[in-house]
Amino acid sequence: MARKYTLDELLIITAAREIHDGDNVILGVGLPTTAGAMAKSLHAPNATLMMESGIIDFKPNVPPNHIADANSCRGFSYATDLFSMFTMTYRGYIDVCFLGVAQIDRYGNINTTVIGDYYNPTMRLPGSGGACDFMSYAKHTVLTMRGGEFVNRLDYFTSPGYLEGGDSRERSGLFPNGTGPSMLLTTKGIFRFDGETRELYLAKVHPGVTVESIKQDIPWELKIAKDLSETDPPSDEEVEFIRRFAPTESVGRKLMYELAFKYAIQKAQARQQKN
Amino acid sequence: MPETGSKVMTAREAVRRFVNDGDHCVIGNYTVGTCAELVFEVIRQGRKGLTLYSQSGVFDVEVLVAAGCADRLVTTYVYRAGGREGGSAVERAIKGGTLQIEDYTNFQYNARMVAGMHGFSFMQVLESTMATDLFRKRSFLGDTKYQVIDCPYTGKRVLTVPAANPDVCIVHVQRCDRQGNAQYWGALGSVAAAALASRRIIVSCEEIVEHDIIRSSPHLTIIPSYRVDAVVEVPWGAHPTEVLGYYNLDRTAYAMFFIQDMKAEGCRAWMDEWIYGCATRQDYIDHYVAKYGAGNLDALRARAYYSAPANYGAAFDSCWDARGRERTMGVTLEELEKTMESKGVFYG
Repeated sequence: MARKYTLDELLIITAAREIHDGDNVILGVGLPTTAGAMAKSLHAPNATLMMESGIIDFKPNVPPNHIADANSCRGFSYATDLFSMFTMTYRGYIDVCFLGVAQIDRYGNINTTVIGDYYNPTMRLPGSGGACDFMSYAKHTVLTMRGGEFVNRLDYFTSPGYLEGGDSRERSGLFPNGTGPSMLLTTKGIFRFDGETRELYLAKVHPGVTVESIKQDIPWELKIAKDLSETDPPSDEEVEFIRRFAPTESVGRKLMYELAFKYAIQKAQARQQKN
Repeated sequence: MPETGSKVMTAREAVRRFVNDGDHCVIGNYTVGTCAELVFEVIRQGRKGLTLYSQSGVFDVEVLVAAGCADRLVTTYVYRAGGREGGSAVERAIKGGTLQIEDYTNFQYNARMVAGMHGFSFMQVLESTMATDLFRKRSFLGDTKYQVIDCPYTGKRVLTVPAANPDVCIVHVQRCDRQGNAQYWGALGSVAAAALASRRIIVSCEEIVEHDIIRSSPHLTIIPSYRVDAVVEVPWGAHPTEVLGYYNLDRTAYAMFFIQDMKAEGCRAWMDEWIYGCATRQDYIDHYVAKYGAGNLDALRARAYYSAPANYGAAFDSCWDARGRERTMGVTLEELEKTMESKGVFYG
């Protein structure tokens, strides 16, 4: 029988499969770094993993805490600065980047800046960071959305997908041809973008999820792939890798905090007894 | 000659002398190795009216804003504690009308520093932003947030950002000599540009080293001494963030801050305990050890993984060989001077 897996593990492993051997990959913190580590260890040993802080060609031993975490690896091949990291992206040397999403519209445009009015926000979100520039110039962008939402109109347009759809991204003259989001991964399924209209459509559903429940999250008539199928399950080898490499991500944030809190209290009690 | 020009002083003196109310102040570190003690000292001294520049603000920006030191923030990234249910000091200040924020992308923010560092008035940035709200929605910088020009060579529209030259940079590094040659390695990010763009620079470091250590590894020096105003030695100066080669991120302490930071009262209580309640970094560490035990701190210390030495050696360090003969002409100094006399090359 195949090894059991968590939703977090399924998402990481699905993202990792978007990295191909030989790719130059920009990794954001969290899910992408673990996906990158898995790809490099299992199916893409010649991928070059990079972070925007200028850490290039690294192989993490533990999940990085953030995008400048050189403590997560034993050295790396090239230490450059942030400026050069983005100009090399501008010149077309990045194959894949991974970005998180708070709001997404039907053409894959992204908001990660604010919910509500920019000048008088309901909720202030992180902002662009590297997202706008990476999504503009990396050949492919893999989007991940875990707590975000589909909207008809973004509260703030942070990072460009396919603008108004069709060939509008190309026509704008602001982007290299062939760039743009290639996939959106959510907790319910996998979406891709139509080659002509550039509208996102449902390509795969995760095991146990109904198309109906996905449609409920989306405020427009969602297009669905003719060959819609179930997300490929993780292999035992993939699950084993994630659980060894990033056990805190395997269990998910909630259970991780529960166990960590319990452990912290145990340690504090032990210290008190010693005193 | 004896060593001169030591700039070593305490964090208190450095901030008192070089950070003024109303300054444009840049936090030089990017996500990692945060100049925590310098940030804390700015707060303890109650600086007001700062325009704060931070490439990627996390707890450093949170406490400076919560303390009311800054009323303007130029950044690319705002930390949010506790996800949707949580909050941040920056969000609370924007909502409360006490903070204005100008958003850039990581590259654009850094490009402003790079322009400033090199003495240029602007820098070309990546044009795709013209399609976004970063370009359309502007705060206190207004028209001077971006300008679009025509490239004189290609005719293409080019997006530009203005140079930034902050009044003062506060920055933490691994090591530094007494004169201020600051060495930093790991995630280079935008640290050098932030420092070099600024008019004054305060460097804090994990340790002060002899000048000879610096001379034998100049590739690690990111700020030269002649640009530095103050050198502050503060072991654990970046805690709870990490310093490569010294210690790891303290996940427990970091999480404790963010749990408190979700609410204004919590953030205030944290600052009372760890910033206002600790006059120096040593007091802060003593408090940490009393509360969590020395073992927690020891568990964070980095094991050694040394960079392979780069050979800066040369074949010789004098024009005169071991026998006292000049290497090119093959004569001793005495012989040379005799020849110079006889050939009549001396002046007058």
